[in-house]
Amino acid sequence: MIVSEVLRSQGRFSVGAPRIPWLALVATFTAATLVYGLVMGTWSGRSTQVLYSGLKAPLLLGGTTLICLPNFYVLGAALGLRDDLEAALRGIVTAQATVGLALAAAAPLTGFVYLSGCGYAGATLSNGVAFLAATLAGQWTLARHYRPLIEGNPRHRVALVAWVMLYQFVAIQLAWSLRPFIGDPGVATTFLRPESWTNAYVDAAEAMRLVLGR
Amino acid sequence: MFGSIDSLLRGRYTDPDRLREGRVELPIVSLTCTCLLLGGLYGASMGLYSALARPGMDGGMQVIASVIKVPLLFLATLMVTFPSLYVVSALARSRLRGPEILRLLLAAIAVNLALLASLAPVAAFFTLSTDSYPFIKLLHILFFVASGAVGLNFLRRTLPGVLEPAGGTEVQVDRTGAVFRVWIGIYGVVGAQMGWIMRPFVGDPDQSFSWFRPRDSNFVMAFFEALTGTFGG
Repeated sequence: MIVSEVLRSQGRFSVGAPRIPWLALVATFTAATLVYGLVMGTWSGRSTQVLYSGLKAPLLLGGTTLICLPNFYVLGAALGLRDDLEAALRGIVTAQATVGLALAAAAPLTGFVYLSGCGYAGATLSNGVAFLAATLAGQWTLARHYRPLIEGNPRHRVALVAWVMLYQFVAIQLAWSLRPFIGDPGVATTFLRPESWTNAYVDAAEAMRLVLGR
Repeated sequence: MFGSIDSLLRGRYTDPDRLREGRVELPIVSLTCTCLLLGGLYGASMGLYSALARPGMDGGMQVIASVIKVPLLFLATLMVTFPSLYVVSALARSRLRGPEILRLLLAAIAVNLALLASLAPVAAFFTLSTDSYPFIKLLHILFFVASGAVGLNFLRRTLPGVLEPAGGTEVQVDRTGAVFRVWIGIYGVVGAQMGWIMRPFVGDPDQSFSWFRPRDSNFVMAFFEALTGTFGG
């Protein structure tokens, strides 16, 4: 029932509902991402990795949201959108729950890919595709909630673009820091890699330099 | 204290009708304290890099210095650019007098600092997860530019109405707008260079702590050096 209402943005979760059902949304998000995380970790065949991945999936998406929320509030208020804050926040949180549910829905597919005997690269790719698809599903919900807001005040578009950009920027780094999610077969299972606290963007630039032969 | 910044962000202090009457009613003391607090908070996130790279006295001093210097940077920029805005306002025969203009600028700075402080968790997170000094410098420059743009946009939305001369012709209104845009440019350049003069805020891990560095080069050169340091090899 809750799942259907969240995905359809109906009932308590509809656009313009009087209150944000925080508890239901956070619980849905946490449970759904936990399920996906547990499945994600099964490729390694190690129970500790399964547990770690189960914990890290909600930590990644929830942590990113928490880091970015203060800026979402202040930027919205500075753009003169303070009165619509609750409606915008409802969109953000419902979109997060949608991402979680889409990931949970992708869990059987990921498990199937694992069972089909894919290698480490295949497992990484299938998880990347699942996260991409879930992000698009989240954007769908976000757009549904933001449509009336943008019609009422086009400045909401600026706030939305800023949110999406900052969220992606932080999420990439947090995902980098929280590795491993799948569990490299050649490396012992740890909650975080020893080189966790390095920078994804600096490493990407370094890799690019090597590829380009500079 | 945060009630004042919330009211400011909601536009309660910058009602266009009141501004046209030349009234800017801001809780100066409360807003100034909030500015100091918000600036200090972001300053702490800047100094954190040094505290992690050089644990001990040097790193701790850099945190303290950055907490003090970030609000000071905005205050100094305000002092340097206020006279020019006052002259523009007077030439445009605005109804606002000196103290009201000062209050408006304080409001814009408060918006700027509120946005910066809201980015402090992001800055702190990246500081914890990188040891690249050029990257952290670039990140802070990006955050300063983004929050400065929003702060100046706040001023841009507020000021033209009050700078507009009573019964002025369309040409006069356009001219006032153009002069104001020039002033915004001056404010941006002064702010950037003031930041350069008051550096270090982050603290180079290869140098010992100092409150200020020798005055050489400029902000633009440093920006391109950080850019090439991060992405150019």
